[in-house]
Amino acid sequence: MIELKNLSCIYDEKIIFENINLKIPSHLNILGANGSGKSSLAKCISNISKYNGEIYIDSENTKNISLKNLAKIISYIPTKLEIYDEFISVQDFVLLSRYAYKQSFFDYTLQDKEIVKNSLDTLSISHLKNHTVGSLSSGEQQLTLIASALTSQSKIIIFDEPTANLDPKNSKIIALHIKELKKSHTIILITHDLQLASFMDNSVLFIKDSITTLFGKEFFEPSNLEKLYGVSFNSLSVKYD
Amino acid sequence: MIKLFIWIFLIIIFISSPFFGAVSLDFNEVFITSTLASNIFYELRLPRVLFAFFAGLILALSGLLFQSIFRNSLMTPYTLGISSGAVLGAGIAIKLEIITLFFGLSAISIFGFAGAIFTVFLLLYLAQFLKNSHHASLLLLGIALSLFYTSALMIIFYLGSTIQNDMLLRFTMGSLSIIGWSQPLTISIIGIMLFLSVYFYRFELQLLSTSDEGAKQRGVDAKRVTFILLLISSFAIGTLVSISGPIGFIGLVVPHIIAKLYPSSVKERIGKTAIFGGLFLVMCDTLTRIIQTQSELPIGIVTALIGGPFFIYLIISKSSK
Repeated sequence: MIELKNLSCIYDEKIIFENINLKIPSHLNILGANGSGKSSLAKCISNISKYNGEIYIDSENTKNISLKNLAKIISYIPTKLEIYDEFISVQDFVLLSRYAYKQSFFDYTLQDKEIVKNSLDTLSISHLKNHTVGSLSSGEQQLTLIASALTSQSKIIIFDEPTANLDPKNSKIIALHIKELKKSHTIILITHDLQLASFMDNSVLFIKDSITTLFGKEFFEPSNLEKLYGVSFNSLSVKYD
Repeated sequence: MIKLFIWIFLIIIFISSPFFGAVSLDFNEVFITSTLASNIFYELRLPRVLFAFFAGLILALSGLLFQSIFRNSLMTPYTLGISSGAVLGAGIAIKLEIITLFFGLSAISIFGFAGAIFTVFLLLYLAQFLKNSHHASLLLLGIALSLFYTSALMIIFYLGSTIQNDMLLRFTMGSLSIIGWSQPLTISIIGIMLFLSVYFYRFELQLLSTSDEGAKQRGVDAKRVTFILLLISSFAIGTLVSISGPIGFIGLVVPHIIAKLYPSSVKERIGKTAIFGGLFLVMCDTLTRIIQTQSELPIGIVTALIGGPFFIYLIISKSSK
């Protein structure tokens, strides 16, 4: 369980949130307009961005957890895979997620490499293992990032708009994988994709004007969506299941 | 095949390098003690080849380091103005006619070193005001600093006497002419130290070259590792430049040649870049001694003549993607 106490997020010297208090019991979707601060919130939780206040994971304050140990607990998956080291292979890239488990100076162990192999198998991208990361399509990049998160063996995975750059086919593949991961991990999903959100069947945190509201299934009622987004929607047409 | 050929070619030049120069040495004469030939060989040529090798190693490795940490192909100590800082420092020492020796190092060296280190800290300080992801702005800062330093150097030239200006001019052109073993030994110890540090942090370097967020998220203390590596490499560059003057483009050209020859992760390229950098500078240095002019050609001019066109090629090939 993740608990936020008096959390304030600062990004580019701008205050995104002030004094949020929130308990996240398990899986959660985060929705909200562009620029509402969804990603900022996720980056604070995964300790990438600076924040004030406290974050507790399973009642332990994350400020008291070392970077390496935090990496074993929580994974953040960005929308796009950005990398300068463009010649790194997919399996070497995924192997980087074992850094937190590795003894400093020494190489990754055979066991680490076995875990990478399993992650790639789980996502059916073993055939890509020797490809360079720079040569991947957006869909393959997203799968590679998910493989990284699996390899880090963290129990919480935060997805930041995983389907934003994907065609419908790849979106569905990713959606099915994320749903499957719900069985073994705590999933926090940031998205604009209402289909994806309703498919996940999670409770929804809606962010608007720095105010966060928690919803259950009633979030997807057309009348509710119209109230929150300010425009009306017909019923959701594409279904992943 | 091409790779093998390039390596063999460089190694042959490396081995035969001490025999070339203003005085060509006979292979047999060298091993007879206390002849002129053996004096030249042991006191001038061998230390010079060693010095050139480790100078090239430091320059190439620092280039690879800066490029990986800042995730920009154009980042090197040279393009960031660190070398220019060293030149200005040396210029000030020459103009003020400080000729005292401190612990065997000339004032010119110490001022040069101070200029390089000052520039690194200035850059690190100014970088705090840049947004995290804007490493391109850091490059612009470096260029701005370089221009500023160059102008300041022009003032020193303008005020200087002919003798001072001649000394300063030779320093700015870069030179590997050294006598005796003390400087090559200093530089080789520093070079080995730099190599070991980079090798020690090879996994962190691999993670840093993904992204700051990516590295931190996987458990790397990005700020600390970056600071340590930059400090060590600036120390190496500062010491080197204070002895040899600025030698440009090695840090830019060599990592790219290696990346083209061996398209692999940065971790796999550390050793190759270091050794190739050393051999490459020895080759350039041999060229300066073969091409006979009134005196020998300054090394900085040769590397810039090779590196300049390469730099343009690099910018064009990057932007046309």
